[in-house]
Amino acid sequence: MREQFPILQREVNGYPLVYFDNAATTQKPQVVIDAMNDYYTNSNANVHRAVHTLAGEATDGYEACRTTLKDRFNAPKVIITGGTTEAINLVAHAWGKANLSPGDAVVLTEMEHHSDIVPWQMLAKELDIELRYVPVQQDFTLDMEIFEASLDGAKLVCVVHISNVLGVCNPVDKIISLAKQNGARVLLDAAQSVPHQSIDFQKMGADFMAFSAHKMCGPTGIGALLVSDDAFEQMQPFMGGGDMIETVSIHGSTYQTNEHKFEAGTPKIAEAIGWNAALEWMEQIDLDSEHSRLLELARWLSQQLRDMGMTVYGRHDDDDAAVVSFLHPTMNSEDLAHLLDARGFAVRTGHHCAQPLLERLKITGTVRASLYFYNSKEEVENFVKQLSDILERFS
Amino acid sequence: MITLTELIEEFQDVDDKMERLEMVFELSEEVDFLETEHWNELTRVRGCQSEAHVVVSIENDLVKLKAGADSKLVQGLMGILTIALRGISPSEAMELTPDFASEMGVLNSLSPSRSNGFRNMFDKVMNEIQNKM
Repeated sequence: MREQFPILQREVNGYPLVYFDNAATTQKPQVVIDAMNDYYTNSNANVHRAVHTLAGEATDGYEACRTTLKDRFNAPKVIITGGTTEAINLVAHAWGKANLSPGDAVVLTEMEHHSDIVPWQMLAKELDIELRYVPVQQDFTLDMEIFEASLDGAKLVCVVHISNVLGVCNPVDKIISLAKQNGARVLLDAAQSVPHQSIDFQKMGADFMAFSAHKMCGPTGIGALLVSDDAFEQMQPFMGGGDMIETVSIHGSTYQTNEHKFEAGTPKIAEAIGWNAALEWMEQIDLDSEHSRLLELARWLSQQLRDMGMTVYGRHDDDDAAVVSFLHPTMNSEDLAHLLDARGFAVRTGHHCAQPLLERLKITGTVRASLYFYNSKEEVENFVKQLSDILERFS
Repeated sequence: MITLTELIEEFQDVDDKMERLEMVFELSEEVDFLETEHWNELTRVRGCQSEAHVVVSIENDLVKLKAGADSKLVQGLMGILTIALRGISPSEAMELTPDFASEMGVLNSLSPSRSNGFRNMFDKVMNEIQNKM
């Protein structure tokens, strides 16, 4: 597989690149690069309007991505967005403003990425709604008792499926079921789960699901919001412009009734074509067996790190992702990341856009190694060896 | 005692990033350490991802820098600045530019946030020197 990813052939600081920053973004296989290059080389045109051949090819390419997403996730409505963040902001503006009133409650968790906190804080200021945060416990799980208690009168629950810091997979079936029993809609941030799991959106029962292409071998700048039929009917367009209208006169406008209503302006055409190529490429991957392989590597790595005196944040249960966040007792995490980079390893450091979670854990950042399909056991073993050498030399 | 010119030459001779970082780490020893109990909002270097604090004073017409960070790498950068300021008057210090760090190739070894952090630290120190002149 690795030979299909051209970037993995390069060296960094004189050493072969070992890319362990997959929770931030994944690398792209050649087929994705080729698909986008082919679009710009041979089919570049705007979508949905003109009758010429290029416009038809561009429209087919763009809409094929939506069709693939609908099929893959069994989703009735797929709004193509700029990514997870834009998808969540779309829910806040298009659903939240039309359906939330002063005093209404929105339930969030301390495990959320900033992109699933800040839009709600902004909306809370604007609409005078209440935000309730479900705490994270010492075992890195959500406090489900507090979650249940928070549901009283709540209109919306926003929850991350898999934590980008801990790799912990939240019990979303239970969360959705409890929310539904209490009449609340559910928004799932699936940015970290979609790259690793097959998800049946309608079976799962959430109302909204947001994710990005670039975390699953697709291009940056594009993502999707899956929406249930009845939640879709409650959404009002918030961004106006071309493509989202049916008719426009000086007296007013009427809007499209399908997903285009929420895709004003020229959309991400090349990105959609690239994402579709990534989704088709991923069809060959056995996600379950890859999940097991990567989780085993994450468990082994975690144990090695603990043996070296590190603290590992996460538990790596069966449904959790292969994300390993850790801290050395004395060496600064960014210093460590610089030293690892000097040996070709790409890891992430810092607060991972999840400051409330880190505040709960009483830390300011971690070093995070996150694995994906193209990472091998040899790379993880080499990581441990190089890390051990670095610690011997510097700590 | 090593001079800034000698330090620049030493760094220019090293290609391996790890070795270069090790040299920066070692320069953290050059810093007149500012104890953590003296760290506060006035001493904080803003725009630095790590906790980085500096205090500038002028004694006998010489610039004195006390500094501290929770990162050895950042403290190493403080060490480089310490060497640059060693034995010079405030007016001589005002002629310094942060270019010496680029000449050493130190900033190339760092992430943009760290490079910007170094520039913020340099600017803060220069502003404090100017205010005390």
